[in-house]
Amino acid sequence: MPNQNGRVFGLTFLCPILDDETLQISHDLQIRDYLATLPTDERSPFALAPGTHVARLVVMDDVIYVGMPAHEEHLASKYLVFETNTDADLPGYLRTLFDAIPQHIDAVWSHCTGYPGTADFDKLLAYMKACQIPTTFFFAAVNDKSVTETLLALQTQRAVAEFITTHQGMAPAQLQREFLEFYQALQSLPCPAAGGKLPRRVIKTGGHNE
Amino acid sequence: MSNINGKLYAMNAITPMKPWKTWILRVIFFLLWHIKSKQQDLINLSFIQFARWVIIPRNRFPSLSSGQKQETLTYDYLLFFSNFNGTWNQYIDAFSAVLSTGLNLIWRWSEKFPGSVPVTGFKEYIARIQFDTDYYYTAYPEATANDTKAAHIVQGALTTLATQAAAQTPEQFQAAYLQFLLAVQTHLGDTGDAPAVF
Amino acid sequence: MSKLNATDVQGFVLRGYNMPHARFCFLHFQNAAAGRHLVAQLLGSITTGQLWDNGKPQSTLNIAFTFKGLTALELPLATLISFPDEFQQGMKDRASILGDIGKNSPEHWDALWRGADIHAWVAIHALTPETLEAQFAQLNAIISATGNIHLLGSQDAAALVIDGKLSTKEHFGYTDGFGNPDYLGVCRNTQPGQGKLLPDGTWAPLATGELLLGYADEAGELPVAPVPHILAANGTFMVYRKLHENVGTFRAFLDEWGARYGAGDAAAKEKLASKFIGRWQDGTPIELSPDAPDPSIVADPNRNTDFKFGNDLSGSRCPVGAHVRRVHPRDAFGFNGKLVDRRRITRRGMPYGPQVDPTTPQDPATLDSTDRGVVFMALNASLSRQFEFVQQQWISYGNDAHLGNEKDLLLGTHLPGEKFSIQGDTNPANPPLFCANLPNFVELRGGDYFFLPSITALAMIAMELVDPR
Ligand code: HEM
Repeated sequence: MPNQNGRVFGLTFLCPILDDETLQISHDLQIRDYLATLPTDERSPFALAPGTHVARLVVMDDVIYVGMPAHEEHLASKYLVFETNTDADLPGYLRTLFDAIPQHIDAVWSHCTGYPGTADFDKLLAYMKACQIPTTFFFAAVNDKSVTETLLALQTQRAVAEFITTHQGMAPAQLQREFLEFYQALQSLPCPAAGGKLPRRVIKTGGHNE
Repeated sequence: MSNINGKLYAMNAITPMKPWKTWILRVIFFLLWHIKSKQQDLINLSFIQFARWVIIPRNRFPSLSSGQKQETLTYDYLLFFSNFNGTWNQYIDAFSAVLSTGLNLIWRWSEKFPGSVPVTGFKEYIARIQFDTDYYYTAYPEATANDTKAAHIVQGALTTLATQAAAQTPEQFQAAYLQFLLAVQTHLGDTGDAPAVF
Repeated sequence: MSKLNATDVQGFVLRGYNMPHARFCFLHFQNAAAGRHLVAQLLGSITTGQLWDNGKPQSTLNIAFTFKGLTALELPLATLISFPDEFQQGMKDRASILGDIGKNSPEHWDALWRGADIHAWVAIHALTPETLEAQFAQLNAIISATGNIHLLGSQDAAALVIDGKLSTKEHFGYTDGFGNPDYLGVCRNTQPGQGKLLPDGTWAPLATGELLLGYADEAGELPVAPVPHILAANGTFMVYRKLHENVGTFRAFLDEWGARYGAGDAAAKEKLASKFIGRWQDGTPIELSPDAPDPSIVADPNRNTDFKFGNDLSGSRCPVGAHVRRVHPRDAFGFNGKLVDRRRITRRGMPYGPQVDPTTPQDPATLDSTDRGVVFMALNASLSRQFEFVQQQWISYGNDAHLGNEKDLLLGTHLPGEKFSIQGDTNPANPPLFCANLPNFVELRGGDYFFLPSITALAMIAMELVDPR
């Protein structure tokens, strides 16, 4: 099923946006406005709910026909596109968002047609299912690792590079001892925050330049 | 609004297709999906983290309430979402230079697709069918697809070394450590900030 | 491709002159009339691409303009705004893209590059110091006679003399001047390794449009160029960068890490130096001869640029981050080099500054502070697609080479915490090494982007005949 590639899920939603001509600022612009100020780093709502590799929200206000002669046609509704690459399929993934960031879901989706709110998970799930479009083809460069595994691996990579550069030319017995200490220290490090910058020099690796 | 977060660029593109052509494209995607060797070029190009194509038939735009106006479209739509590393120009240049056949196979069913060669016309076309991202998040903004692959290789090699290390004599460890260095030596490139966009 | 009219192209574009002395003069036009008059006066003396079958001239003369220069010459607005963005901006405004930060940022450049706007570059190359001075005196006479032209400053460059012989070495000790692309119609004979790779593994010249405006490029299109076409055709863009070399820092770094590499002896040090660049200091490509220099390869044009990296993906012969591998990755990225063909540049650089005297020892600080380095000049049809891309993505970044954020060792502006990976194998003389605490070996002291027009275009500029339509 192309919604899934290995262990990664590629979920796509098109949520019709409310159309209310009496408003001073239309719903689509209110969504844009809210999203424009939302942090995209480790304070992002997606960083607070586990399991999102990469996600985007896009207001699709119309379709376009490029070329001559133009066969113009227009959408009756504007749509909020939600494109996300996740560690879980829809019910599991939505549950993590529902538990961690209901206020953000409300803030964005309350501008969408038929949105049931976050009072009842099953209603929300039914709504998102109704908005879901099956992904036709899904490519993932790394498809067998979770977000946590990747964040840990990146932390490991940096720490290992540091260990190696500071332990060149060391006598084997000492190297072995310091390596085992290093490995242990690394194992006990917490997973770095999603969405942020990796901290530098989290472990004192010993070696030449301490 | 930004299409960029750290080392990642979000592209959204939408093109109309005559409905009968949609079926041909579905068959092509089906084959592409099941014949993994056909995806090799995409993998080798190595700067796409995630990408997807989504076909929306003209009568399948979600309709959530009776109050919502019905869509009256004559075309089906092909949506393309890509998460790539590097510059916009680099991405399209590379596609045009080495994947033009594959791209043409996917987009030739879209109305007035100019072909992915010559690249200037192709870029103009993409610039117009592209729409901008309002909100873009990545869990690892400092890493490219290559960086994450490399990190997982280092993680694997480290685990292998660590499981042997405690039981080894210093001399055995020294030999194992050299093998470890050789296994990771091309995978230690640091992660960090992306170069300035141009 | 139609036949190239070499008499319409400035000679500097079509070939490296291989003359040991040079002076680059930087001019400012007080007004457009003066500028045009100067171009008219110089026109007859500009060295063209005509072949020197009857021997080399004593000296050469070439000219190029910055965007500010073309503006000062009052080219029509429609023409001016048709130049590529990066050329209009100039090199200073591209600093963040080029990684010209910290000590390399424009506020630290030489006074010449911080003062009045530079409008033109006039280059003299000569066989002897005397002929250089003679040509320069002539230029000066024309400048004074014209009036309202300021010679803001000049930069001398000269080939280094090693054991009494002219060399192509630069101050760190490496031999330069091997790798440069072949283009269709430009080179009389082509050399394996210089053009582009074909699927069968052989080499062919690059499309002319990768160097010259007005001809098809590797994408099969005419390069982006200003209007009218005739102003652009047979012209090209030039990058000029004065790159200071910290020779003391280089030597100290090599001593420090050489002592920790392999046997830690003189041979190990020499080998380590070769790993930084990808060539032994005599020029032998380490991809072809990783264990020792081989003068027979250096001397043979059929071998000295004929190598690939596809069988060395581990980098144990030539490190993945070595200079020549970064700036010309050949087949390293797969796809028969197709991702590389539109990223090539033609180099015309020369060393400047006093040669390090090998007989009297000097302290590293003096070695560093002496004004010496490389006048880096490179030609390409598109500054942004070719030079800027190489400088940013391949020198100051490593993702295409799967090196993450690692930079070129000698050229990168290194930040604390950065390292440089030298891959190795199980041979104790060829171990992996990871250099840390990287100093900055090269510093940018000034430069800009120039347009090097054809002879026809120079005449149009001189006669105020540019018609954008
Ligand atoms: C002080 C600064 C520099 C030094 C000392 C230096 C040194 C060298 C050396 C020793 C070589 C090998 C000889 C050869 O193949 O001709 C070389 C090649 C090359 N360098 Fe540099 N370089 C410098 C700056 C640059 C810059 C700024 C660029 C580009 C932005 C660059 C691009 C190239 C290219 C394209 C080659 C030819 C590679 C090939 O075709 O195999 N260099 N350089």
